[in-house]
Amino acid sequence: MKMRIAKILTLSPSIAKFTLQPVSGALPVAAPGAHVIVEIPGPTRIWKNAYSLVSSPEDRGQYEIIVRRVEHSRGGSAWLHGHASAGDVLEVSAPQNLFPINRLAKKHLLFSAGIGLTPFLAYLHTLNAPFELHHLCKPEDEAAFRSLLPNAANITLHTSRNALDLNALLAAQKLGTHLYLCGPDNFMRVALATAQTLGWPDAKIHQESFGGATGGEAFTVHLQRSGLTLEVAPEMSLLETLEAAGLAAPCLCRGGACGECELPVLSGLPDHRDHVLTPERRAANASILTCVSRALSPELVLDF
Amino acid sequence: MSKSRPIYAPFKLDLAGKAHLIVTNQPEVPEREAALANIEIWTVQTIAPGVQAPIRDNTRAFRAVPELFTHLAHRLSRAATGLRLYAIGTESFIWDAHNIAMAAGLSATEIHLTQSGPLVRRVIVPQNIVTCPGCGAALFVRDHFSRRLAGFMGVKVDAETPGQIPAAEVFVS
Repeated sequence: MKMRIAKILTLSPSIAKFTLQPVSGALPVAAPGAHVIVEIPGPTRIWKNAYSLVSSPEDRGQYEIIVRRVEHSRGGSAWLHGHASAGDVLEVSAPQNLFPINRLAKKHLLFSAGIGLTPFLAYLHTLNAPFELHHLCKPEDEAAFRSLLPNAANITLHTSRNALDLNALLAAQKLGTHLYLCGPDNFMRVALATAQTLGWPDAKIHQESFGGATGGEAFTVHLQRSGLTLEVAPEMSLLETLEAAGLAAPCLCRGGACGECELPVLSGLPDHRDHVLTPERRAANASILTCVSRALSPELVLDF
Repeated sequence: MSKSRPIYAPFKLDLAGKAHLIVTNQPEVPEREAALANIEIWTVQTIAPGVQAPIRDNTRAFRAVPELFTHLAHRLSRAATGLRLYAIGTESFIWDAHNIAMAAGLSATEIHLTQSGPLVRRVIVPQNIVTCPGCGAALFVRDHFSRRLAGFMGVKVDAETPGQIPAAEVFVS
């Protein structure tokens, strides 16, 4: 869909809200938790980044996304912050929802860090059961996030990690509570491990984390079926490299959250950076999520 | 076997859980598990009509299944996440326990069911014929199990021609 940037609202030096309106027609309904892929034109290439929608699911006239300028960004968020202006037209995918609200929950415990708050801003429009939201952020971002949240007793901002006793919070939840996690890798790992240690079943832990494609060492990929050998440059993802070679590689969220882009690994050692593969499947090294994961070995051979 | 018939795994503790509650309507309780600290076992055992067996350590006996279920619902409404529930017993007992647990907010992965004891079938309503104790209708018992109602389906056997009832087979449990 072609969408025009209607408004850019700067919330802090590194956080801005973009209002996107369709160039023509009405927008598809997007349930809370949905994201879109925005194609961002760079000087030498196009970036495809996933952003959660924060606008009301009822709103068919516009989508709102919140973009953080990523330090050492490979390009996408820096362009949106530095070069985009109202009136620009971007290609935006139809919304996909990999992070829906579980409607059987008796209570929702929402736990986010940094820009991971964004899907929960959409949740707030429609939550049907009691909820509690805890958000961790840096002190310099506090004002920006506070401006996005209603002032309510069940919504708490924490500006230092010590301010929240996560173990006590999770240990005190009754059986009908579902936990939702969204934030950077490290945050996700700690929160998930704490919940699992307390006996939380996977069925009640919902998580989404985008943006693991931070680049890394260059490596070579051999594609057995296509008969191609490609170099994955440090600032390119494996998926982007496949696409640049004209291959129709599977993908959906482009952020290591959905598992759609998984390809079988025939040899080589993947550097798993996704949130999909179980520890057993990671250890097996039999597949790789091309959108975020890279290689620990100089070469990978894929069945593709 | 019809697709509606559940398949049960043998009893085994789910070690991902932090606390464990076992409910059973059978006389045998898992002895080895009874010795563990974070496990409670609830049974229905009487030493005389209406007198439950004494409570010992982590085992608690109720006078009857409905009493056990009333306490179960109350207990689950207060329990913290991390609890695993195990129901061991007849098919109708374990699915009643399952449905109480689901209503309390447990997910399927936190509930473990083990079928044990007589293979008696609770009949809800269309290879066998029973007489409904409520209305006296002759019912044909289908091999169809309802997890929601924790019972088998019975269909009025003479619905087409009232009074024409084939001879019933004897069902031995």
